[in-house]
Amino acid sequence: MENSKPKLNLAVYWAAACGGCCVSVLDVHEKLFDVVAAANLVFWPIALDVKYSDVEAMPDGFIDVTLFNGAVRNTENEHMARLLRKKSKVLVAYGSCAHLGGIPGLANLSTREEIFKRVYDECESTVNPDQLRPLTVSSVGEGSLTLPEFYNDVRSLGQVTAVDYYLPGCPPQTERLLEVFMAIVSGASLPPAGSVIGASGKAQCDECTRLKSENKQISRFLRPYEIYDDGITCFLEQGVICLGPATRAGCGVRCVKGNAPCRGCYGPLEDVKDPGSRMMSAISSVIDAREAEEIEKIVENLVDPAGTFYRFSIPSAMIRRKVL
Amino acid sequence: MENCRTGVYICMCGTNIAKVIDVEAVREFVSGLPDVMLVRTYKYMCSNPGQEMIVQDIRENNLNRIVVAACSPCMHERTFRSALRKAGINQYLFEMANIREQCSWVHHDQQDATEKAMALTQAAIRRVALHEPLENLSVDMSPATLVIGGGIAGMTAALELAEAGYPVYLVEKTGRLGGNLARVDLTAPYLYSAQDLINERIFRINDNNHIYLHLNSKVTELSGFVGNYTATIETIPVENGHKKEEVKVGNVIVCTGYKEFDASRITHYGYGKLPNVVTSFELETMIRSGKIETREGRIPRYIAIIHCVGSRSLEFHGYCSRVCCMTALKYAHEVKSAIPSCYVSDIYVDMHAFGKGHEDFYRRSSEAKTLFLMYNKNDRPVIRRADEKDDCQMLIEVNECLSGETIEIPADLIVLMVGMEAREDASEVAHLVNISQDKEGWFIESHPKLEPVATTTDGIFIAGTCVAPKDIPDTVAQARATAARILAKVSQGKIEVDALYSEINKEICSGCRLCNKLCPFSAIEFNEKEAYSEVISALCKACGVCVAACPSSAIKGRHFTDAQVMAQLDGLLSPVKYQIEAVTS
Repeated sequence: MENSKPKLNLAVYWAAACGGCCVSVLDVHEKLFDVVAAANLVFWPIALDVKYSDVEAMPDGFIDVTLFNGAVRNTENEHMARLLRKKSKVLVAYGSCAHLGGIPGLANLSTREEIFKRVYDECESTVNPDQLRPLTVSSVGEGSLTLPEFYNDVRSLGQVTAVDYYLPGCPPQTERLLEVFMAIVSGASLPPAGSVIGASGKAQCDECTRLKSENKQISRFLRPYEIYDDGITCFLEQGVICLGPATRAGCGVRCVKGNAPCRGCYGPLEDVKDPGSRMMSAISSVIDAREAEEIEKIVENLVDPAGTFYRFSIPSAMIRRKVL
Repeated sequence: MENCRTGVYICMCGTNIAKVIDVEAVREFVSGLPDVMLVRTYKYMCSNPGQEMIVQDIRENNLNRIVVAACSPCMHERTFRSALRKAGINQYLFEMANIREQCSWVHHDQQDATEKAMALTQAAIRRVALHEPLENLSVDMSPATLVIGGGIAGMTAALELAEAGYPVYLVEKTGRLGGNLARVDLTAPYLYSAQDLINERIFRINDNNHIYLHLNSKVTELSGFVGNYTATIETIPVENGHKKEEVKVGNVIVCTGYKEFDASRITHYGYGKLPNVVTSFELETMIRSGKIETREGRIPRYIAIIHCVGSRSLEFHGYCSRVCCMTALKYAHEVKSAIPSCYVSDIYVDMHAFGKGHEDFYRRSSEAKTLFLMYNKNDRPVIRRADEKDDCQMLIEVNECLSGETIEIPADLIVLMVGMEAREDASEVAHLVNISQDKEGWFIESHPKLEPVATTTDGIFIAGTCVAPKDIPDTVAQARATAARILAKVSQGKIEVDALYSEINKEICSGCRLCNKLCPFSAIEFNEKEAYSEVISALCKACGVCVAACPSSAIKGRHFTDAQVMAQLDGLLSPVKYQIEAVTS
């Protein structure tokens, strides 16, 4: 079709990720035909056999849009982040890991050594009597073999290279991806670089249909299995921590609609510097006790505060990692 | 944003700052910082020439930000803000660095103190760059005042306001005006009749059509803020039905008075068990009825008065109740004039005669053949029944301090000078009007010396013995002071409120309602229709509780934004270096 617009070159890449983001791209289902009609998929390791060397051979700016998912945790991730930045006109941090560091970012609560020790020595399924550890370079008869170097810190994509847009979610809601993609294809005016796209400027509560009152006082933290959820009352008011008030809407309140509290994957709102401390500050202000001892007792039954409040955001939060 | 042209002024505060901090070194350091156009040091920045210097510099050098490194902002922030206003720039484009209270007064080492002063000043310079011009709020001031309590304080304040032509709602819980003073016969030290003091006021109140008197009534709800309170006045349910009224007032005066100490709490005085051990108020009743007699109807030959019952004792109340000493002397006078043959003993701890005419009253009482005995407050007198052969009912054993001897005093009637204590419903009142109480239950003033009748809630004033024990002149003076404060405000018709308040960005607020119940000033309201929370700016005191609690950062504290605070922190934590120059002699 000669009068149609030139097709866009589209790439999808995964770094330190679980694969869910790539699957969410596949979740466009039959809309994939629309995508393919508008774009050439030039690089997508989960679906296409395109080598890194092929990417390196592309001219700079060859790719129109790269959806980069996953955090940066080793030299390979970092190399690909920088490479794809160079080759792409628009680099999108796709999903929580690229956006904020995500679940792999929780590794910043440990050191590399602690992680290796657990995995290669202590893990119940590990048999490693010689205490072997992976080496970045090992010599064999045919020459030397290399492995990416495992960093001590996990970083978000934006901490490694310049990112044009952040599309949050674990994984992003596929409809949001389509909206963003179609906007790019149609040449609609895009928000300023560095913006979060495909998400609301308000928190989850804005879209959540559960009943919310002013009575948020918490006298005991409960885990979801400890309550008989009535299905209609705000989770916080039932004593269950829900990250909804601190998390951007955009997912369609997926978790709460499935009767599970929000875990915060869509990340903080615009002006929030540190999402975890924001929510902790909010929660601590509604603890229903005055005496220090009483407060301590209530706080004690909050299981895994770092994992609860910073589940997706440790590398990009102010705390960034556990102090070494 | 326009470029910052910051003027920095480093005050020496005489030698208060300069003796520890090398202000010249601070000046030199600051001159090299970005945005800084001009730096001066001066002996007293708060003086007129100091302020004038700022005004001149702003005009001549086109400065648009000012930092003064001097004392605490509590001391002089307003002073310097007014200098900015005078020079024609917004008063909020100003920041103080406290290098006195937080630096020179608490450090000795010149090196450390100078570096800290540099850091504090640098922090202020970074912060002020992000300041925004803000406008104070002007809100209407309702001319009416609510007075809670119809004792001498309430009546005095109500009359003062009403006679100036402003409406007053005077609410009294009981069925009559006069409060505790109505239970008193004569007053010390000039022996005026308490009834006369009260009745004259009651007549004037009944005559004044600006005063809306609510007897047998309580204020059950108060909402709103200075200038715009809404109070609900309800009658205390009686047979003749129940009435409820809502009134709009600009200010509230709380003068709910005191209650007397329950003497039976000191078991060993036997009050409630020994028939002729009575409290000062019971004696007062006898005097007013014209018959001082024992429970058995006999004229007492010996009357003993014991001071400090419930006062000045860590077991009960640590404070002095201030009026009992003079009241006891007054009883000695009244008893002597009613029963000239009666022997009066006055058993005291210390004679507190601090007021005008009190010392003279004490001297006259000493001359009137009253036996004064001093006891140690940790060694209370012991009361026991007298034997048949004694010519009195009871005997009091006192370890008399001045003589060092144990003395036995006869008594037919023993009067316990019960102290004052906060009323049991004081906490209810405090909650109602949103003011604080100290550990004894008295209401807390905004400043014990400079703001004795104001509270930390704007528009709520306190007077009389609900604040602390005091005598009639002090109570009346406080009542008039509250009226003067209120008149000064209502006569303006409008009230200016600081521009410091929280704002909720409707575009960000998701209506989670976490903040709704946190505000100590009840300034947050939830808009049900549009499902977002909003701050009533005139009610907000900028405490920042909601700002910290908002999980979406939808709430901003004006003048305390994250960016401003972070810039200040950056300035504080950026390295500074001070090299003490070697002294050459």
